[in-house]
Amino acid sequence: MAEILMSEAERTFILHGIQDNVRSDGRGCEDYRPIELETEVVSNANGSARVRLANSDVLVGVKGELGKPSLDTPEHGRLEFFVDCSANATPDFEGRGGEDLALEISSMLARAYDCPSCLDTQALGIIKREQCWVLYVDILILECGGNLFDAVAIAVKAALGNTKLPVITVRKDENDETELEISDDPYDCERIKILNAPCIVTLSKVGNQHIVDASLQEESCCLSRLMVAVTENGTITASKTSGSGSLNPESIIDMLESGKRAGTLLNKTLHAKLLEEEVKVGTKKKTMGFLT
Amino acid sequence: MPTEECIRIPGERICRTDKGLVAGRGTYECNGQIYSSVAGMQLKSDKDGKVHIEVQREMKQNVLPEIGMIVTAKVTNVNPRQCKCAIISVETTSLSDPFRGVIRSEDVRSTERDKVEMYKCFKPGDVILARVLSLGDAQSYILTTAENELGVVIALSESGATMVPISWNEMQCPATYAKEYRKVAKVQSDHITQNG
Amino acid sequence: MPVDNRRLWTPEETIPPEFITKYRPTTELVNQNGKRRDGREANQHRPTYLKAGAISQAKGSAYIEMADTKVIAAVYGPREVMKREDFTMSGQVKCVFKFATFSCKTRQKHIEDDREKELSMTILEALKPAIRLDKFPKARLEIFITVLQDGGSALAAAITCGSVAVADAGMEMYDVVIGCSLRQIGERSLIDPTTDEESHRSLSQSDEKSNETSQAMMTVALMPSINQVSSIIQKGELSIDGAKQALKQCLDTARKLHPVIKQCLNKAVEAKLKR
Repeated sequence: MAEILMSEAERTFILHGIQDNVRSDGRGCEDYRPIELETEVVSNANGSARVRLANSDVLVGVKGELGKPSLDTPEHGRLEFFVDCSANATPDFEGRGGEDLALEISSMLARAYDCPSCLDTQALGIIKREQCWVLYVDILILECGGNLFDAVAIAVKAALGNTKLPVITVRKDENDETELEISDDPYDCERIKILNAPCIVTLSKVGNQHIVDASLQEESCCLSRLMVAVTENGTITASKTSGSGSLNPESIIDMLESGKRAGTLLNKTLHAKLLEEEVKVGTKKKTMGFLT
Repeated sequence: MPTEECIRIPGERICRTDKGLVAGRGTYECNGQIYSSVAGMQLKSDKDGKVHIEVQREMKQNVLPEIGMIVTAKVTNVNPRQCKCAIISVETTSLSDPFRGVIRSEDVRSTERDKVEMYKCFKPGDVILARVLSLGDAQSYILTTAENELGVVIALSESGATMVPISWNEMQCPATYAKEYRKVAKVQSDHITQNG
Repeated sequence: MPVDNRRLWTPEETIPPEFITKYRPTTELVNQNGKRRDGREANQHRPTYLKAGAISQAKGSAYIEMADTKVIAAVYGPREVMKREDFTMSGQVKCVFKFATFSCKTRQKHIEDDREKELSMTILEALKPAIRLDKFPKARLEIFITVLQDGGSALAAAITCGSVAVADAGMEMYDVVIGCSLRQIGERSLIDPTTDEESHRSLSQSDEKSNETSQAMMTVALMPSINQVSSIIQKGELSIDGAKQALKQCLDTARKLHPVIKQCLNKAVEAKLKR
């Protein structure tokens, strides 16, 4: 991840602040930084979203393609996550530099979404063993300002919620061969239910405390993190530790609790915002230069 | 008190640090307790009036070149500014994988440092004794031979015979009697026993 | 692995016959008496055999066998870091985790895939906090772990095996690391699951009921003496209380394995003393 240089005094300042529940930007330990969200930003994708969490900037596009179901789930469609840590974000990502981080993010997302209650993959199946929807979720990291996992997860959820797949009808022709008919009416489309989709909350252990949504400065003070994927009703669909340090069992339990609290709140806020966006996108005049 | 001579594994608590006990090699101290950090035999030794608790592995320790250690190296490349070499053993332990080392021209000898001609000091293939000066950079350890006892120990002449040192800066081939320049080490007897 | 072009190629897409046969195990995962298919209690770990020093040429090595799960690990180094970009002043650790091609139900590829890469990273994260990196500046320790047979809980076995191999190499460590897995199916938590239990979900997918019950898998890496968790990886739905409970159970089981590691390393040290 992008490293920044910090002096010992700066570190101590951040550490002591967190002990007193005051962070360098005035937040409490369980507060997020302001999040900007925009959906339907790429017209060529079936669904897209852009999230800016303070300085972290993520663009997600979802493209649906027809493919063969995997062997162990013949009736289900599937999601494929690809993360591109572009060299725009930091020169460290150039070449193969961002590969490890990209793999870490994509596998965390795959784990978080691999659970029947949070995303109904059966609805993406078309013909058993033959055809299904494969949703390619491509994540482009434009700027790296700390807490990438959370920003990515929010953007993925928003993009999936925004995804419109054309309706496909399966019929048999006279030779008893199956035939797929894809609706050509752009408004005749299926949506993906994302109410139970998870958001990732990263809890960084700084000193004896843990914080939500660490900035780059705070990330460099923290040795170990716990990432939890939380749904709106507070169930955990995946979790993973990361970083070079270790945690003691009691603090993990505390971190899970805070993760649940922050995650449910984040999901609620996101749903409200997505609804608002849905109304707005319908009437919005297309503007040029979506990054501005 | 810790019991004598027993086997410890990493993370095993040995004893408290008080009573004049000090965490020695193969152990670490945390919250006033001494823990073992390797799998091996626990020993006690007296050093400067304090009892050191050590855990020692019978197998050769993991040696890495450290500052001040004497290493044996093989010269791989010589140019006017420096001489590159592969460190093949540290003190008395030979390494399974060589480490890269470099001797800069000003570190070859302790007198007339600025007049050193590298080609008259080392040739590729020479086996040298050197001391680790610093951990160096990403590329290599920085070594020095600026001591009488350090420098070329084994060198082959052009005819392939092992040369015999005849002065501090010359070696002679026993077959052809040709003389070649080297920064010769005045090999000490204790070094011989160490390396023999 | 070099490719031999003169050889006849197998069809590009082959399917293991298990996916075509209709056979499904008929017995329940846990019977009325609370016993699992292999006769274990729900919270019972499989009998574990652990041996340090399985590969004579490596600096350190270990072999672990938990019934059908067999994993071997070798440690080399610390070696010089050759690439200039990779240079750091503190020590580095590299970990390569590989499923042998014949180790799983479906055949594995020779080339490291994303799953193996991710597991390598997880194992590295689990082992790194235990290793004293300050003891080998500028050098890199290399850990190679191969699963010979995957009978379930391969990740947990690999973590334990890797840490014993590092200790056997005589590297300085803060503690050993013990891995333990747990499979949650509905209300049931099964410690140290077998492959059957791990893949249970795909068997019962046709049941409407199964969508409602939670299905999760958790692997925890514990450093028992200093009571620190170096890694958790969990997948699947768990309530917050379920997660806490699962964590606790994993930790309890991992602690029970500590004497096995101690005995195994003791034996290895004794063997070295005799030589």
